[in-house]
Amino acid sequence: MRLLLVEDNVPLADELVASLSRNGYAIDWLADGRDAGYQGASEPYDLIILDLGLPGKPGLEVLRDWRAGGLTTPVLILTARGSWAERIDGLKAGADDYLTKPFHPEELLLRIQALLRRAHGLANQPMLQAGGLELDESRQCCRKDGQDIELTAGEFRLLRYFMLHPGQLLSKTQLTEHLYDGETERDSNVIEVHINRLRGKLGRELIETRRGQGYRFGGQP
Amino acid sequence: MKSIQRSLSLALIATLLLVALVLVQTSLWLFESGLRRSLETDLREETEGLLIALVKGPNGDQLDVQRLNPRYQRPFSGHYFKIELPERTWRSRSLWDASPEWPERAGLADELLDGPQEQRLLGYRAEYRRDGQPIIISVAQDYTPVLESFARVRLSGLGLVGFALLALLLLQRYAMGLALRPLERARQQIAQLQQGQRQQLDQQAPVELQPLVEQINHLLSHTEDTLQRSRHALGNLGHALKTPLAVLGSLVQREELTAHPELQASLQEQLEQIQQRVSRELGRARLSVDVLPGAHFDCDAELPALFDTLAMIHRNGLDLRWQAPAGCRLPRDREDMLELLGNLLDNACKWARSRVELSIERSRDGFVLLVDDDGPGIPAAQREQVINRGVRLDESAEGHGLGLGIVSDILTAWRGEWSLEESPLGGLRVRIALPATR
Repeated sequence: MRLLLVEDNVPLADELVASLSRNGYAIDWLADGRDAGYQGASEPYDLIILDLGLPGKPGLEVLRDWRAGGLTTPVLILTARGSWAERIDGLKAGADDYLTKPFHPEELLLRIQALLRRAHGLANQPMLQAGGLELDESRQCCRKDGQDIELTAGEFRLLRYFMLHPGQLLSKTQLTEHLYDGETERDSNVIEVHINRLRGKLGRELIETRRGQGYRFGGQP
Repeated sequence: MKSIQRSLSLALIATLLLVALVLVQTSLWLFESGLRRSLETDLREETEGLLIALVKGPNGDQLDVQRLNPRYQRPFSGHYFKIELPERTWRSRSLWDASPEWPERAGLADELLDGPQEQRLLGYRAEYRRDGQPIIISVAQDYTPVLESFARVRLSGLGLVGFALLALLLLQRYAMGLALRPLERARQQIAQLQQGQRQQLDQQAPVELQPLVEQINHLLSHTEDTLQRSRHALGNLGHALKTPLAVLGSLVQREELTAHPELQASLQEQLEQIQQRVSRELGRARLSVDVLPGAHFDCDAELPALFDTLAMIHRNGLDLRWQAPAGCRLPRDREDMLELLGNLLDNACKWARSRVELSIERSRDGFVLLVDDDGPGIPAAQREQVINRGVRLDESAEGHGLGLGIVSDILTAWRGEWSLEESPLGGLRVRIALPATR
């Protein structure tokens, strides 16, 4: 899952990048409203965390422009402006969730998980379930047939992406775009290695390879 | 209260009365002096007639009765004379036994003479000289009919003045109504302003009222600007305080600190206190406390957006409903009202199992707002405590008290009252009574 964090406060952004990375998200961080307006619309993010008081361009305008341009990526507003009038303005501009500072770090993680699942049409349940698997996002491990299976960070990221897109054909480019942030060097072999390891742990039939097209998770058509 | 209409009417009555009296009196006086001049000529001719009637007889001078006008013979006819020669005097028979104070000087007498039968006489004295002897002839004429007709003229003049006064007053009332209509319109607009039905006065005022209307509008927009500016500044201050608090909150969760659970817990507690204090004080400072007379909350426009926001934040399939009278406008500041309802409904959503309802009703002297949920509710014994906790700043705590502090602040500023009850849905009902006027 690749997220865009737009936040002009450097210490807070550092904390958030560190905490979100620990939870298996690839994060791009921007501090300027104008940069965010451009990059948010051009890169394939799965979710955007947006501060409202931004240099360059106010967060609400950035959001309005995105929505006017047809961007459907879920946007979570993270702001110190907590009055209800401002929350309503945020929603009207096209936000999907609104979290006010200061907040508990776990709260932010839970909101992100819920928002991602909802964006992919999945019910809001405590565990992510797909293809006969249950994924515990806080412990970064999965359960199959009542047995816990430990995952490495890379495997966890990949499996979570598959489980949020069950039955969909995913190209290798798509996978790299959504699993790594803009600054990591992308090596498609790494994806192959992770897929092979997941097959080893969870069974070969779980991830189907379509030659020249990509991968499909979950077995259903 | 001083009424422009009344003071103008009084001034008009006074002026009209003064002018009418002077006019009637002056014209009567002018007319009378003209009349007296013409009567003087008549009287002089009478004396000349009498002089001719004075003839030389065998016994010296004698009055030829044949030549006298018969009215001098009829008693109290109103025409009298007295002829004085050095050795004898004639009086007209009409005088009977009366003896008026004949004038002493030649010409028309200045004063009226008292005649018989309460007549008032206009006297004239002429002095002639014939055959070396002086002849003084005084004549008098009854002036009472003239006086009576003058009195009549004066009376009917005053009646006319009274009638004109009445007509003018009615006319003036009508004209005043026309002239004061813009003023009345401005008064109605100010009333609407106070009821929250408009934000500005109509700029289309007559020239005389333009400065007043402009000044009021300027004051209104200035107050609104000031409120916006101060809210913006508070937003910035909140941003400046809350972002570092968020960083601290995140830092406390670090692994280095989990090795010292006591230190971590203590830090967290202190941070929590700062956060709550900051939120509460910033929230309180944001309140407009009704500095804007035109502020209002349009239920139909604002509530759908508020409920969408609540549904977005809570997202657990809650059934959120609201009902309000059609076209309901609460005369309170929009942001304050959103803050009040937002906090109450947010709180209800946190505790509700499946349903939250807001209903707004008009009551006899204001509005009643009810927020219901089907959550666990609060035992009757603790309800008082929750309300008081909202009131007492130092003890406002998480849980059900969260957000209720600001609710309490807003209601105190509005002089509203609130109570906690058992909801028909099974959970908690918050009942708020708002007075209609601020």
